[in-house]
Amino acid sequence: MKFKDKHRFVRSNMKKNRTRVWMTILASTIGCAFLIMLASIGFAIHKTAVDDVMSFRMVNEIQVQKESGMMTENDVKKLEQIEGVKAVTRKKYTPANQLSIGEYNTFANVISAHMPSEEKAGFELDKGRMPKNKNEIVVGYHFAEELRKDQPENALEGLSEEEAQKRMKELSYKGNLLNETLKYHLKTDNPEIKIEGPVQTVDVKIVGIGKKPTRDWAHDNSVFITEDLYNEVISILGKQDPKIASADELKNYGDVKAFTASADDVKEVTDRIEKLDYMTYSIIKELKQMNVYFTLFKAGLIFIGAIAVLIASIGIFNTMTMAVTERSQDIGIMKAIGATPKTVKRIFLLESAYIGLWGVGLGTLLAYITSYGVNFALPIIIEQFVNETPPEGFMLSYIPWSLTAIAVTICMGVTLLSGWRPAAKATTVDVLKALRRDV
Amino acid sequence: MISVSNLSYAFKIGKKGKENIVPVLHDVNLQVAEGEIVAVVGRSGSGKSTLLNLISGFIQPEVGNITINRTNLSKFSESKWAEFRLNHLGFIFQSFQLIPSMSAFENVELPLVLKGVSVPERKVRTEEMLKRVGLESFKNHYPGELSGGQQQRVSIARALILNPPLILADEPTGSLDSENEKQLLSFIKELNEKYGITFLMITHDHEVASIAHRKVEIIDGYLREGRMLHEVQR
Repeated sequence: MKFKDKHRFVRSNMKKNRTRVWMTILASTIGCAFLIMLASIGFAIHKTAVDDVMSFRMVNEIQVQKESGMMTENDVKKLEQIEGVKAVTRKKYTPANQLSIGEYNTFANVISAHMPSEEKAGFELDKGRMPKNKNEIVVGYHFAEELRKDQPENALEGLSEEEAQKRMKELSYKGNLLNETLKYHLKTDNPEIKIEGPVQTVDVKIVGIGKKPTRDWAHDNSVFITEDLYNEVISILGKQDPKIASADELKNYGDVKAFTASADDVKEVTDRIEKLDYMTYSIIKELKQMNVYFTLFKAGLIFIGAIAVLIASIGIFNTMTMAVTERSQDIGIMKAIGATPKTVKRIFLLESAYIGLWGVGLGTLLAYITSYGVNFALPIIIEQFVNETPPEGFMLSYIPWSLTAIAVTICMGVTLLSGWRPAAKATTVDVLKALRRDV
Repeated sequence: MISVSNLSYAFKIGKKGKENIVPVLHDVNLQVAEGEIVAVVGRSGSGKSTLLNLISGFIQPEVGNITINRTNLSKFSESKWAEFRLNHLGFIFQSFQLIPSMSAFENVELPLVLKGVSVPERKVRTEEMLKRVGLESFKNHYPGELSGGQQQRVSIARALILNPPLILADEPTGSLDSENEKQLLSFIKELNEKYGITFLMITHDHEVASIAHRKVEIIDGYLREGRMLHEVQR
């Protein structure tokens, strides 16, 4: 018997008991939707947590530290030689942070960075190029916003937060900073050190502006200076403050990160780095621990949801058992004229599979609609009734394709299992008993 | 065509382990030649239906052999029996055994569906067969909308649709009036003469037995061959 004929046969049988079949489909739909919706809460919480962790760090980034002391040039070289390491970025904190252009002034996060490594690690520019000469610098995307005209200390007093922000924006530098020369004030940021006379400055040229951070809330006003300029700055600052000249943290690297070509290599590279007695920290490591807890949590939710599917499957079992009982004469006639037990079984399994498929299809659709509705309406409800704004990117329900696949597998599996017994029963229908029914 | 040798059968009645064994057939031997019409006659409870059920494969023999078309069917599984029935046997039942939810066309088409014949071929063959039994204008009617005679003709059309060489008929005229009975018997004769189809019929009707080339009688599970009709009646 061809599949098309089985399908036709099953369709006509299902039409005969439309109400009963649709009520069973409805039960499967609700069961499947409940399973997906319940598990989607777990998936949403997991996703929010992962997004939160990932928003701060890059996936292929491994932070490296020594158990005691700071990372030196030798350590960096060792790391660079490890197989799988694409780049090793190293940064030194610079204890002088004032820069100005004309009447505009700012106190920025000045960092000495090895620019070729930064570039290799994925640092991208919005405009311009990387520094080639000693006095060339690269600034963060929001640097211009932080460059403001001087104002009296109480200028923002009495202003609301919105008004204060507006005022600050008005005072910000409006022009294009690329290729502009700024004055870098070489005064130590140690407030205890007082300098008599004018502060020595050095002219620095902005040759590049960093790319806008992907996160809306991230604000990048850092300044990258070359290692040569850093050495010059430290020797000048060392004269102002003797502690600087001898400070270990200014000679060595405060922030060293190894980057791999892809996230898949992070684990192996981390193991290699740890073998060299360094301490590591990577997002993959953090996510691995987090994933264990969330997987258990999600499995628990799926298990509870599966109970609803099991309850729905009782409906399928009943419907199919009744179908077999009602149609035992038809089954007997079919067997008498040459239908094999396999054919009979397949017809009934197909019928329960169709009920399951309809239930799964409608259930999944219902779950997606409900999920969308909940994610859309919940922030509005929270704002209206609790008077609070939920965090950005917050979602109560998230249905990835993997959840849909799990739910479809569970629902279809349970459906076929519940249809198996009635289908097997159909094959055992006694031909003679069935034929004698209406005699 | 059919060869039954040393066939015995007993029903087991009651719970497993405490069954009562009721012997029905004893050492039955029967030969049916190709193109023959054989009527099996006997009183109610004599075992004639059991014999037909054994030859049809609806029940499995415990002792003896059944051979149809040189195929020994004694050790056939349920699936193999089903396939054999589909390919070699046609059935005419007393109560027609049509599927009530299917139209006359669908009932006749069913063996072709089970065999996996393509839709266009099925349509041609089914319409041709319905024409042959004079029911072309009733093809969309459901069994409940047809008379007893028409239902039996649908049943015959279904039995013939796959051109089986052997038709097993269990009281084929049992539910028909005399007019329809006459028509059916002449149709069976025509099929036998024109197409050489072999018939094995179970009946207690003299009229039906009269068209048979040969009659066999079953008395209390024992088969006696070649007795004349008046002897059977006595």
